[in-house]
Amino acid sequence: MILTTAMTQLFAVVLRRDKERVTETLLREGVMQFLSTSELDIEPRHNQSGAAPDASLAELSDMRKRIEGILHTVGTIPSAPQETDLQNRAPVNLAKEAERLDRIDGERESIRERQRSLQQEILKLEDLRRQVNLYGVDLGKLQAPARQSMLAMQTGRLPASNAKRFEESLKGLPALHMALAQQDGMVHYLLLSMKRDQEPIERILSSVGWTKVEMSQEVLSARKNLSGDLTAKLQALTEEQKKLQDRVTDLIRQEEPHLKDLWVRLRIQELCAKIQASFQSSSRTVIFAGWLASSMKERLSAKIAEACEGRCYLEWHDADSDETIASEVPVQFNNPKVLAPFQMLVSNFGIPQYGTIDPTPFVMPIYLIMFGLMFADAGQGLVLTLIGALSAYLTRNNQAKRGTYHLSWLIAWCGLSAIVFGVLFGSYFGKALFEPLWFDFHGIVAGHPETGSVIRDVYDILSITIYFGITVIVLGLLFNWFNLIRTRRWVELVFDKGGILGGWIYGGGVYIASYMVDHGYKEFPSGNTVFLLVGLPALLLLIKEPYHHFAHGKAHAEKAGNPIFLVLTFLMEWIVELLEIFSGYLSNTLSFMRVAGLGIAHVCLMISFFTLAGMTSGVFSVLILIIGNILVIGLEGLSAAIQALRLNYYEFFTKFFHGTGKLYTPISLDSEP
Amino acid sequence: MAGALTKYSFINAKLRARISQILPDEVFGQLAQSASVDAALALLRDTPFAPLEEVYNSTGDLRLAEIELLKSEIELYRNIHRYLHESSRRLVDVLLSQFEIDNLKNAIRIYFDRKVRGHVDESAAHYILYEPILRSIPMDIIVNARSFDEIAGVCQGTPYKAIIEKYGAVVESEGSLFRLEVAFDQLYYADLIDAINKLDRVDREVAIRLIGVEIDLQNISWIIRFKKFYDLPLDAVVAALIPGGFHLNRATIDELYQAQNVTSVLQKFVGGAHPGLSALLASQASDSTSRLMLIRRILEEIQRHEVQRILAGYPFTIGIILAYFILKADELKRIRMILNAKQLGRPLERIENML
Repeated sequence: MILTTAMTQLFAVVLRRDKERVTETLLREGVMQFLSTSELDIEPRHNQSGAAPDASLAELSDMRKRIEGILHTVGTIPSAPQETDLQNRAPVNLAKEAERLDRIDGERESIRERQRSLQQEILKLEDLRRQVNLYGVDLGKLQAPARQSMLAMQTGRLPASNAKRFEESLKGLPALHMALAQQDGMVHYLLLSMKRDQEPIERILSSVGWTKVEMSQEVLSARKNLSGDLTAKLQALTEEQKKLQDRVTDLIRQEEPHLKDLWVRLRIQELCAKIQASFQSSSRTVIFAGWLASSMKERLSAKIAEACEGRCYLEWHDADSDETIASEVPVQFNNPKVLAPFQMLVSNFGIPQYGTIDPTPFVMPIYLIMFGLMFADAGQGLVLTLIGALSAYLTRNNQAKRGTYHLSWLIAWCGLSAIVFGVLFGSYFGKALFEPLWFDFHGIVAGHPETGSVIRDVYDILSITIYFGITVIVLGLLFNWFNLIRTRRWVELVFDKGGILGGWIYGGGVYIASYMVDHGYKEFPSGNTVFLLVGLPALLLLIKEPYHHFAHGKAHAEKAGNPIFLVLTFLMEWIVELLEIFSGYLSNTLSFMRVAGLGIAHVCLMISFFTLAGMTSGVFSVLILIIGNILVIGLEGLSAAIQALRLNYYEFFTKFFHGTGKLYTPISLDSEP
Repeated sequence: MAGALTKYSFINAKLRARISQILPDEVFGQLAQSASVDAALALLRDTPFAPLEEVYNSTGDLRLAEIELLKSEIELYRNIHRYLHESSRRLVDVLLSQFEIDNLKNAIRIYFDRKVRGHVDESAAHYILYEPILRSIPMDIIVNARSFDEIAGVCQGTPYKAIIEKYGAVVESEGSLFRLEVAFDQLYYADLIDAINKLDRVDREVAIRLIGVEIDLQNISWIIRFKKFYDLPLDAVVAALIPGGFHLNRATIDELYQAQNVTSVLQKFVGGAHPGLSALLASQASDSTSRLMLIRRILEEIQRHEVQRILAGYPFTIGIILAYFILKADELKRIRMILNAKQLGRPLERIENML
């Protein structure tokens, strides 16, 4: 758990005829991160090549994305293939399926086209309606539009045989026509159009044999609700539009089962192609290599041997062996699920290098202690816990919201920490409902500490956080030494700022500071002690630059000509290094005072809200306390979380954690597309 | 007089947060790769552009979706306007007037097509914004107008009236809108430069750098049109251009408009100030339009560079606001471009080139 998972490299040779079965096994097991063919470092012979799968990876990937695009329009996200899908897999006929997808796209496009023309109809009628609304033409009473209106209204008749042509011709224009009566083979119409379209309207009317006729009031009164007709027509078109919209959804829904199945088959084929793209093939054999967790070695050996009935050659190399191909070993975190939210914090900073310490198990207590000290309230902590747990419950099955899920758990953990520290300090929604188990934080900040308590004032609180900071920094230094020993970087172990000499100076500084505090800031340790604790390691640091110069002489060749300049450079670099060590460690340690600062601010805010509530009574008082608590939970919770993260990243991680590792990403059935 | 911190601290924090919400390049890559307009819009579902999908699904009309995009862009300016100090508001008002001018141009174009060209495109009237943007101009009357006099009449009380009165007859006699449109653009940029000149020194310097490049871009667009559609003589071109450009001067325009071997001119144009752009110069442009397109790309790169410089520099200036508008306009332009390209079935390579 403290170190990342031990990795092993597999170098395998199998017969070409077993290629498909081995590929299937490798995908099913899903534990191999393959080395690319270029990394294999094998001189290709004339008959040796990267294995070309039947369908190209790009073709498969394009079609899969196309299906995803179609399914996304109805809100469906296909789920990763299962093992049974792999067992029952059948090759996809890409040409046939592409035709099917083209058909779906074509059908959808033709519906969209219909929608577009329908929308034009709607927009034209809306144009008319807007004019009606603008100029207040009362169509219900069939009054002619006002002069300033852009509408033109006329009545007339035309031969019944031309009625259809007349209606068709008007389709391209914003116009409303209404058949009022039919008499002697002539249809009587009321026509409402835009004045701007006078010319085309007149052309249409003359082509269909329109004769202007003043309608009698009786004829008009039979169909006088023109406004209602306009609205009804618009409503009908809108409903038809809605139906078309539903037809697009229905079209995709109808195809959804097939598309989902196709997506799964394509995904499997794509993953197999991806695995096979890492194969180096000759006419009879296939070679591949990759990384996997050492614990999976036996199982994968057996599975590969089973897949090719023993016709294989497998070579295993531990990550630290000189026999491995390619230098960078991928990193797999090795933490229990409960640590997932804290692993998220670590991986957000970077991936540890292989073989070095994974700080996740330490981040959990350190982060939670910091948060608890800054946000110590059992009631408010309970609220955070409930919010976090609820959010985690709601996002538990959503793979797309994995980050939110982990963040929810982080909030819940922070809430639990606040509860623990709230009980220790006796704070419940800012009120001291029960006796504190440790000390009365509120009392100290408010100026009335408990009698007999070890912690008596804010300076004591500050010193708690300083000691906590020293512990964190020392832990970081120890981890750094451990990493340097494991990676055999001996010079850095001794001379690095976070190495043994740096740590020695820091330890000495801490001792001297404690000694002074214990002696009321009036006494300094003896000269010999100071020399031993700080002077000696500082002098030893003087060796660092000359050592680098002589060990890596070429890099400093330009300075070699002038020995005085060289000595001065050494001295200058030594002084700068010492200044960096002294100021760096001092600021790193004092930085932890922010924990106390935020804790005190939290208490002060609650005291302020209680004072405000005390100025009123009844409902207002309760309201102020509720709003106060909400504000404190929101704002203080956020700043405590951010400050705890900052302290972890900058005061703890920088001592030992480089974050330059490469995450282990095997090809498996649930690999992210 | 309010200090820079008072004026810009809040808006700076707000806009920086908003800038982080601008779609990253990967999303545009995914949009370009999507198989259809439907698929592209589905990708925008979890972004602030989700309403586009809703409009497209219920109408099948991409232009209506674009109108939504335009409305959201206008709302963006209005929204920022609210948070600004009085001294910076005038500049944002002028920036907002570009939408009003564009809308007015579109409405006049409908009138012009119907009345002067005798071409009726009824659908165009549906994509005009009828709600007022800055001033209350009855677009309905302009779309339905019988003459330029009527249009000028309804623009009473706006600076557009004088332009329409001056150029109405010219447009009708020449059968082309371009003089009117150039006059509108010149009005906009004159107002813009006037607003910039009223800013304090630091803001003025920052604004002129960004707006100067924008004027260059606008001029290049005009030059491309002049060359491609009107083949105007150089003097006429120069007279029609907007003053206040940052990189393009008379000599450069002269050389670019006429030179055959353009590389040396471009090298001079880009100068030592933007060595990173030399890669763009590697693509040799054969004809004058391609040359100008190349310059356009170079200017866009320079604008991006200026925006990055402002974002990385002293934060309490008008620069953050202008940078945000430029980034946002670029984002919207790319979305429009991809969706239209998908609608027209353009191949991926072409879309990626345009991006």
